Amino acid sequence: MPFTAKSGKFNASIRSLTIGIGDKAITLGGECVLPFYSFDAAIENAPKVGIEITDCGMAAEPESVQKYYEGCTSVTDMAKRAAEFDGVDFLSLRLEGGDPNGLNKSIEELIRIVKDVAAAVDLPLVVCGCKSEKKDEELLSKAAEVLNGKNALLLAAKEENYKTVGAAGLACKQVVGAESSVDINLAKQLNVLLTQSGVDPQAIAMNIGSAAAGYGFEYVISTMDRIKAAALSQGDAALQMPIITPVACEVWSVKEVIASESDIPEWGSAKERGIDMEVETATAVLFSGSDAVILKHPESVATISKLIKELV
Amino acid sequence: MGKFVVIGERLSVTAPIINKAFTERDPEPILKRAKQQLDAGAVYLDVNIGPAQSDGADLMKWAVQLLQSEFDNVPLALDTSNKAAIEAGMSVYNRAKGKPIINSADAAGRIEYLDLAAANDAICIALCNGEGIAKDNDERMMYCQTLLERGLEQGMEAEDIWFDPLFLVVKGMQDKQMQILECIKMFSDMGLNSTGGLSNNSNGMPKHIRPIMDSALVAMAMMQGLTSAIVNPNDLRLMETIKSCDILKGNTLYADSYLEI
Amino acid sequence: MALKGLDIFKLSPKKNCKECGSPTCMAFSMKVAQGTVSIDACPYFSEDAKTAMREAAAPPMKTIKVGTGDQQYVLGGETVLFRHEKTFVNKTRYAVALCSSMDDAVIEEKLAAIEKVDYDRIGERMFVEMVYVNYDPKSGAVKYMELVKKAAGLNRVLILGVEDPEVARTALDLCKDSKPILNGANASNYEEMNAVVAGAGVALGVSGENDSELYDTLAALEKLGNKNLLFNANTDSIKAAYATTVQYRRAAIKDNDRTCGYPSIVNVAKLARGDNHLQAALLAAFTMKYGSILVADHLDYAEALPLYGIRQNVFTDPQKPMKVEPGIYPINGGDENAICLTTVDFALTYFVVSGELERSGVPCNLIVNDAGGLSVLTSWAAGKFSSSSIAKFFEEQDIAGKIKCRKLCIPGKVAALKGELEAKMPDWEIIVAPKEAVQLVKFLKDMQ
Repeated sequence: MPFTAKSGKFNASIRSLTIGIGDKAITLGGECVLPFYSFDAAIENAPKVGIEITDCGMAAEPESVQKYYEGCTSVTDMAKRAAEFDGVDFLSLRLEGGDPNGLNKSIEELIRIVKDVAAAVDLPLVVCGCKSEKKDEELLSKAAEVLNGKNALLLAAKEENYKTVGAAGLACKQVVGAESSVDINLAKQLNVLLTQSGVDPQAIAMNIGSAAAGYGFEYVISTMDRIKAAALSQGDAALQMPIITPVACEVWSVKEVIASESDIPEWGSAKERGIDMEVETATAVLFSGSDAVILKHPESVATISKLIKELV
Repeated sequence: MGKFVVIGERLSVTAPIINKAFTERDPEPILKRAKQQLDAGAVYLDVNIGPAQSDGADLMKWAVQLLQSEFDNVPLALDTSNKAAIEAGMSVYNRAKGKPIINSADAAGRIEYLDLAAANDAICIALCNGEGIAKDNDERMMYCQTLLERGLEQGMEAEDIWFDPLFLVVKGMQDKQMQILECIKMFSDMGLNSTGGLSNNSNGMPKHIRPIMDSALVAMAMMQGLTSAIVNPNDLRLMETIKSCDILKGNTLYADSYLEI
Repeated sequence: MALKGLDIFKLSPKKNCKECGSPTCMAFSMKVAQGTVSIDACPYFSEDAKTAMREAAAPPMKTIKVGTGDQQYVLGGETVLFRHEKTFVNKTRYAVALCSSMDDAVIEEKLAAIEKVDYDRIGERMFVEMVYVNYDPKSGAVKYMELVKKAAGLNRVLILGVEDPEVARTALDLCKDSKPILNGANASNYEEMNAVVAGAGVALGVSGENDSELYDTLAALEKLGNKNLLFNANTDSIKAAYATTVQYRRAAIKDNDRTCGYPSIVNVAKLARGDNHLQAALLAAFTMKYGSILVADHLDYAEALPLYGIRQNVFTDPQKPMKVEPGIYPINGGDENAICLTTVDFALTYFVVSGELERSGVPCNLIVNDAGGLSVLTSWAAGKFSSSSIAKFFEEQDIAGKIKCRKLCIPGKVAALKGELEAKMPDWEIIVAPKEAVQLVKFLKDMQ
């Protein structure tokens, strides 16, 4: 008697969402099955891998990442280099220098970088804000303006600023990221609010939050599991948006990664620890249902890209 | 657990304006009411064309095509005692948004409606009633068994038979209400789906009382495991109660705006 | 899994004879499902139907025990597909692979490396629990037996990768008392292999050319009375391995197919084909989705640190948040004169806060309160992290007797407690720390 598995294909599916323009544009979502369950039904769009650089350039990168950008003298140089790495589907520019509690760079300065980067690469672009919801209102709105026609993703609209960021996305025809930090009810509510404010549900991606492996990651797993169950099994249209997860910003600051080789010699290579933390967290995020991940280390990007190709 | 299925009851020959529109094949009043119900959150629309003995087949076809073309293949419950009309309706039915529901079989003269549902891969409402009103739940469950066996024999999945306990009017049969609720619990314990004309309970009550009674009953019935009801979705209080119960039962995920979606 | 009334009704005679005392077979089925009436009350329920019922009521997935003593592990026994539905119960275990084709030097190196990763994380020992000892026919049985003996010296559960029944029998003679797993049954040798494990009383791992052949072999072994089994995921490709692992688990738990209800072995070393980072990804992937034993080529700290973290997270009971032991945690060599910071015993809070404190390099004492394992705001709202609970905790633990410094930082999220604490603990200088842990580094450095 042959083994015949019952299909787990759902009647509902995740919305498909395009970021970027032209040949390099990427489409997220569209699947009607759980993550990588290609044995249930074909997965229309493989999950995508983005690489992250920041407005702070080389200085902000860990040592093992800097090596890959050797010779770059500007953020634009880094963007061009990043676009060439194996497995990169899109570019994420994090404007962390804008953080009022950090470098507190001016909006003008940051927007100049956004403009330069957008002009230098033809990859789909994700623009991440600066940790201040208030400042992001203006920062992401201005970014939306200068990226006119690029169909970029604004990351992100939060509970505190969704009206402004959503309106900017709507006015400048950009994709809006809805960010909730591992709170499933808020994830749904933000999608509803953005939709009610006029943003096309087809132009919303969710960042439901993440954590590094071992750091309360169980909440990430269960939030994503439940979102997928609601979207696919209950057909909840307010949760059928594809999920994009910035992983880099979670993993490169944990102890397992930043501890120096002299501090804890038995742990071995700091470079390997960084890559494996990023690779394993990204894998876990993808297997929980993320449609895209944002990573930092080129070797992580190549590995995750290879994994995805093997699975879809 | 799936979301509670609201079947909108307002496209019925019992409403004079709809009866007239059916007779005259006048789309406007029908589409207007259909839209009101869908906007309010109806999942299925019941299309009750009455006995329609002379032109039932033609009328049902017309109604199905009218509604499905206007509202993106909205799923429908085909409600008539004219079997040929149901068959005709199904011949033009598009199931992209859900199987058709046949309304309804019973354990007496209309048991072969289950055969019809089986042959057409439709859902069938199965009224746990024989001749006259069942005297107790033993009798209801006897009918339930008869109907279930018939459906399964014909090759239906049990989940496609939605059992109707037959809601009874409070004024006159107040003592039967808990029986009905217990019967729903039995369906649910058996793992069966259920539905029914829930607002029948408030028949004859003052107009302002009815939404209150209907809401109270739907909450109690959902607690017992009722999975669907044929109701007026434009009763705001009732719909708010259903949506809230769906949240409490975990059938939908909570969001602050849950009443608006 | 408990049977629904409907499942019992489908097996019932449907005669409505009332001899059982119920008015209908349906009513009877319902009572049986509720457990209020025994199935034996019906004189007409066939033996086959009763057997089918008993089987359907058994747990969907077998629980397999391997190893002995403090090296005994329980595999399988899951009842849900997603952790939020209830909880996962038996953790994924990791094995490192050795093969008798390897040079002695390589083997020694690998054996040493296996012992290297061994640490504690929230009260749980993290290490390589199993060793996979693969038999290479070309190198001969003698060399294999040597390897088995060496591997046994590590005191980990052994998985013997042997398809030759004679070699398997000899190898088991060396180590069967430690209850290893014999991983080597397939469509052509399962009868002999079954005889080998029957004598030794150990679990048997089963493979197939494809998922159907695997299924047939599992079914054939069950027919021989052996239910102490594990199955190997297909290793043709990552995709195939994932398909076996997920589909078998789902068939067991969702569709009640008992033949699929065994723990899985996934050989990620084979799937990764020498790509170390890909192996790291696969270890994470199959920990998330349904791998019971993962066989790796090696496991160093870089791979292990995130992996064991993920495992601890995946297998945490959603009803019981992870807690750390309340008490004083000196950080960066903090002594009795070092500044104190206090927080709650929710594991995640502890991790994030202690991580940041370590990053600051400032010697300090982290005083973890007994707050019921809840986060700062949740425990504060529940009255478990209040000025009186903190004051009481300090008294009970005699913090003032153990630490001389009288500076105490409280989480910024409960800044409101400052006044009350000053009143209740007058000896202490209460300082409000930042709201977010990430700001602690700057905060501590600024204070110095």
